[in-house]
Amino acid sequence: MIPGALLAIAAVATGASLLSAGRAPRAWLALLLTGQAAALGAAGWVLAGGPEWEWQGGLAIGGEAVQLRLDAVSAWFLALVAVVGGAGAVYAREYWSPEAHPVSAGSGRVWWSLLLATMVLLLLCSNGLHFLMAWEGFALAAFFLITLDGQGREVREAGWLYLAASHAGTLLLIAFFSVLAARTGSWELGPMRDQPGLAWLYWLALGGFGVKAGLFPLHMWLPSAHANAPSHVSAILSGVAIKMGIYGLVRFGGWLPVPVEAGWLVLGLGVVSAVLGVAFALGQHDLKRLLAYHSVENIGIILIALGLALVAYARGQMAWGELALAGGLLHVWNHGLFKALLFLGAGAVLHATGTREMSRLGGLWRAMPWTAALFAVGAVAIAGLPPLNGFVSEWLVYLGLFDALNPPAAALPALPAIVCLATTGALALACFVKVCGVGFLGAPRTEAARRAHECGPWMRGPMLVLAAACAAIGLAPAGCWPALRSVVGSWGAAWRDLPAPESLGTLGVVHTGLVLLAVGGAIGLRRRLRGRWRRGVTWDCGYAAPTARMQYTAGSFAGILTEWFGWILRPARHEERPEALFPGRAALAEHTPETVLEKVVVPVARWVLRVATLARRLQHGRVQAYLFYVILGLAALAALVLATGP
Amino acid sequence: MTDHLNLLIGLAMGLNLVALGSSRLPSLIRVAAFQGVVLGLMPLVMEPELGVLAGLIASATVLMKGLVIPGLLRRAMRAARIERDLAPLIGFLPSLLLGAAGMMGAVALARQLPLLPEHRNSLLVPGAAATVFTGLLLLVGRTKAISQVCGYLILENGIYLFGLLLLGSTPLLVEGGILLDLTVAVFVTGIIVDRIQRAFDSLDTRKLTALHE
Repeated sequence: MIPGALLAIAAVATGASLLSAGRAPRAWLALLLTGQAAALGAAGWVLAGGPEWEWQGGLAIGGEAVQLRLDAVSAWFLALVAVVGGAGAVYAREYWSPEAHPVSAGSGRVWWSLLLATMVLLLLCSNGLHFLMAWEGFALAAFFLITLDGQGREVREAGWLYLAASHAGTLLLIAFFSVLAARTGSWELGPMRDQPGLAWLYWLALGGFGVKAGLFPLHMWLPSAHANAPSHVSAILSGVAIKMGIYGLVRFGGWLPVPVEAGWLVLGLGVVSAVLGVAFALGQHDLKRLLAYHSVENIGIILIALGLALVAYARGQMAWGELALAGGLLHVWNHGLFKALLFLGAGAVLHATGTREMSRLGGLWRAMPWTAALFAVGAVAIAGLPPLNGFVSEWLVYLGLFDALNPPAAALPALPAIVCLATTGALALACFVKVCGVGFLGAPRTEAARRAHECGPWMRGPMLVLAAACAAIGLAPAGCWPALRSVVGSWGAAWRDLPAPESLGTLGVVHTGLVLLAVGGAIGLRRRLRGRWRRGVTWDCGYAAPTARMQYTAGSFAGILTEWFGWILRPARHEERPEALFPGRAALAEHTPETVLEKVVVPVARWVLRVATLARRLQHGRVQAYLFYVILGLAALAALVLATGP
Repeated sequence: MTDHLNLLIGLAMGLNLVALGSSRLPSLIRVAAFQGVVLGLMPLVMEPELGVLAGLIASATVLMKGLVIPGLLRRAMRAARIERDLAPLIGFLPSLLLGAAGMMGAVALARQLPLLPEHRNSLLVPGAAATVFTGLLLLVGRTKAISQVCGYLILENGIYLFGLLLLGSTPLLVEGGILLDLTVAVFVTGIIVDRIQRAFDSLDTRKLTALHE
């Protein structure tokens, strides 16, 4: 009852926000935030152990009665939509202000409302047809948000690539839902694990939802879309929108029977996405593109957990399955929070300096202390370091993976997964050391970086909220467990009433201790050093006049690591070596291409286009030729009739 | 009776070949008109007992196919002042060969079809098939708009021949409908011919490709 009322409020408020989006930005923001708060309340109610909410409306769309359902799995994702959606809306008020973007600010508000509304609908629908409609609406809203600044060629190309990839995925989903409807005789969705004939459908779902989630070979749309969209849009795309793909995989992994191999395949894809995602991130020089590749990595971590849970479910191993699933689901939230925080931070940097190129930044922490500190919080969280939330969810996944190795029912492939997950963590740490070191520390490399300014309260506020949420989950991980338990319970019917792993409480204590220690240490150090600062040249072996350009660049910092992955990154290197006794010009440029896109998808697409062009020659506007085709068609039909007989 | 009918059908089939071989527009129109007249006479030969009905069909057909439609075509030709050469896509000799082959194919086809016994010995079915084929060949093989209309005319003649098989039962209405369609088509083509002439200074339908995209 209460969730229904709250969702009704959310629907009315979102609808009203759509009406006010054009003219009244303040009213829009207030209404949108009201709506998101109400949705968050509904989700919280269900997650806190309230009963599932179901509603069957009298009205029918497309011949199917509207059916909505909010169970713990939907609520888990719904809460994330509400938090990041609200934070992004507040952030956009300054970042994409009507003064700076008189035309696109208004349409941005409209599409933002629509994006949130369609995502919420998607989570609530329990009818395949309506799910597809919401899915399509959500994909379109995201497209218009990505191309909000439609002036740039790169932006438009990124938008089209996103749209094409998204529709390729939707095609698979249409196949998935229509076959499902044909087999079960109804579009209604719900638990149907007792029909083993439907198991193969999970492959279709994996393809369709996998494109949206951005798992490794299907991620080609993701880096350019996330890099070129306005930053608050990147935040919601990366933090929430790609999680809709995960939602689909989790949802139908729980409702449908899943082939046994699918669990292992998901796990394998997760490992590949995690390791290669972070490897590609290391090769990037564009701040937002780098963050985008970290989305691929984190989706990989989530998929490792999900794959393990599917394997565990198939084998009836509740003990490690629930841990892995809980870890994966918590990572959905965590990634949503810290990735949104990082993208908002990157947006603040872009807003202040006008560039996303890391080699043009440097020394920003002086000018932008808030942004630098909040970005650092996000970086610590994404690198999976204690005491923040990234560590908690990865900890749960590790626990699941290690438990999977226990005899007698040991699942040995978990071992390489552990190694790869650990590698991923280490590489992610290296990558964020690079970002923070090159971007925020050192000296400003360009005039733009020197003139950077701190962002205003509208941009800082949402970042603070997200950082606080990251810290809260990190410091009190046991607090999330009841919600996680109800999600896991509603996912697999057999998995109810899980005991919280004991280590979760310990983790909270240790994290709090760590924070207290660090704060105490910092205060002590500051007190001891007070009045004894001295500013001087760090190190000048013959360099009488060091310049900012002598600093490590993003490329040189990650050089060794990207060389390890040269086989897949295929960095393009252009160098002009200094020669002769008094060398003149010398130059070195390095660029990491989108390997999958440029080496696989584009050649295949070009080939398809060539074949299609050949077919187009048949259609050239000559009447005689068309008549000839008609005659050929008639002759073929006549031959068919004569050959098969009456 | 069958002999007279077969004679007329043979004449129409010969005219098919003449149509395929004629290199100038007026002669093509004339051949199509003459074929229409020959076809118009057939109901009189076929079913003398029908009397008034047969006479009505015959006179209407001769009037339309022999006079009205060719007259319209000639007017369009004069109004557009078009060159009279036909500019074929399929040359005249290949057209003739194809037409002859089509005729043989039509006869072979008619042998395969499960016909009523009274139609076994008549040339009606092969003649109709061959005429339809000739019409299609003209449609595909000629470039001028007016020659294409002639192709339609001959195509329609073939359909009319098929229709004669059922003369006793119902097809008067159907045939009337087809004839009406054809007249409208000729009218429309007349207008289009004028427009094409003005736009491209020629009636070559190949130039219409300039309109695409």
